[in-house]
Amino acid sequence: MKIKPFDVFDSAPVLADVPLLAAAGESLHYLDNAATTQKPNAVIDAISDCYRQHNAPVHRGLYDLAENASQLYETARRTLAKFIGAASDQLIFTRSATESINMVAQGWLRPRLNKGDQIWLTRMEHHANYLPWQALCRDNGARLRIIELNQDGTLDLENCTGLYDASTKLIALTQVSNVLGVINPLKEICAKAAGQGIAVMIDAAQSVGHMPVDVTELDCDFLVFSAHKMFGPNGIGALYGKAERLNQMEPLLLGGGMVDHVSQCDSIWMPYPTKFEAGSQNLADALGFAAAVNWIRQHDMHAMHAHVTELTQYALDSLAKLNNVEIYGPRDAEQRAGIVSFNLTDVHPHDVGQIAGERGVAIRAGHHCCQPLMQQLGIAATARASFAPYNNRNDVDALIESLHAAQALMG
Amino acid sequence: MSNSSIYKDVLMDHYRNPRNRGDLSEADIVRRGSNPRCGDDIDVGVNFDAETLAKVMFRGRGCSVCLASASMMTETVSGKSKTDAHQLVAAMRNWFTAEGATADDRPADNLAALDAVRGHSARKRCVMLAWEALDEALEIE
Repeated sequence: MKIKPFDVFDSAPVLADVPLLAAAGESLHYLDNAATTQKPNAVIDAISDCYRQHNAPVHRGLYDLAENASQLYETARRTLAKFIGAASDQLIFTRSATESINMVAQGWLRPRLNKGDQIWLTRMEHHANYLPWQALCRDNGARLRIIELNQDGTLDLENCTGLYDASTKLIALTQVSNVLGVINPLKEICAKAAGQGIAVMIDAAQSVGHMPVDVTELDCDFLVFSAHKMFGPNGIGALYGKAERLNQMEPLLLGGGMVDHVSQCDSIWMPYPTKFEAGSQNLADALGFAAAVNWIRQHDMHAMHAHVTELTQYALDSLAKLNNVEIYGPRDAEQRAGIVSFNLTDVHPHDVGQIAGERGVAIRAGHHCCQPLMQQLGIAATARASFAPYNNRNDVDALIESLHAAQALMG
Repeated sequence: MSNSSIYKDVLMDHYRNPRNRGDLSEADIVRRGSNPRCGDDIDVGVNFDAETLAKVMFRGRGCSVCLASASMMTETVSGKSKTDAHQLVAAMRNWFTAEGATADDRPADNLAALDAVRGHSARKRCVMLAWEALDEALEIE
């Protein structure tokens, strides 16, 4: 996507529509959006309206209120599925992207991963997309392989010998690094993997809702994301899978609603998505999740993405003007999502985060659940600013001022 | 800095001019405190004179809070008996974790600057790192 010659997006109405930020005004510059985004009125209202007007058991009742709840739940599923280019029944509601990944690891790959097989990840994976595969390799005697990074943080696809070998059973990688912000070339990887019959699972927690994501266009086998990183509620996420994969995949949670026939010694699961949604459905958060999608659509995701890209470039350029700063990842915002990690020389990132926080600038400091990447970079932690459509240049300016303050105090 | 800032002058003084930071090769015992979550990594070395902590030193890297707390710790416990030092660590732990603890519960007056850090749960481990390493060096069950 090209950056517009100048940023025409007006972030003010978006900001006004997010009550927590609107109330805080200039006292809060919220730049921790890669950790969690703030919630617009539409999402808060959808959840509250659910409990005020629609609450009833989903897929269980014969009375009008319950029928309506079931319809609303399935409408939310359709909204989510359509948003990522999937068929409705291939969108499974989960508790989080983390849970979605664990479902694929345990329910799909575990029974078909043999000794000597390979799982390929990348150096930039979040622990959520690292630990389930590490444990699986340890249990099944498979090899965990890593796609390393180039100097600028992009994937080094030239030097990962054996990536598309017959012994590779899965490539699991993120669409956007939550540390480096870098956007990975998924189409190329998915196409090559498909040619060899290798499954690809995409961690799209940092991309869905922030840039166009289409599972049909990507031709991936699985894709996971979570609501709270795209202006939706906490505690709900999603898993997309190709029909064939979802048929193969076993449910991890067994219980009410997911079963067709139960006899004393054996049972038959319902077809997907139902077999993966045991227990009472989380109606309110599903409606909040769908409301987030509708809110994104209403504000035009392309325009918001262009605004965040412009803001990211402004942040990169402003940071580069500081003395004694190291910026991680590509310098060109077009290769990035709205995530910028950096360190100030001789100032611990926790001090950077704390001093920024004392000045109303909310950023993250730590290893960002990416210890393998930190080890490769030879650091323990970074500071990280991440942007959303409700941010503007004032937020970046406040960040830079707080970094000057940190350097003055710690220098 | 505002009143709510954790970066009090005394804390910053200990960070910029740490007391008893240096070589531990002559220490009777050295114990390590590390927090891989943020890369803080401190060694605490103690020289004993019978049951007394004759000399307490530290070395390592960490954030300002971690290093300042380590520096303050060495000042607070030097010259104390093993038992008193052990009790000081327990009092520190209590000051940082007990519900309803106040500034007045500080184990020693020279630790007053750490009071502003107590409200920040994320920094608790930074403060306690050197103290916990010291407690291990005391080898009191």
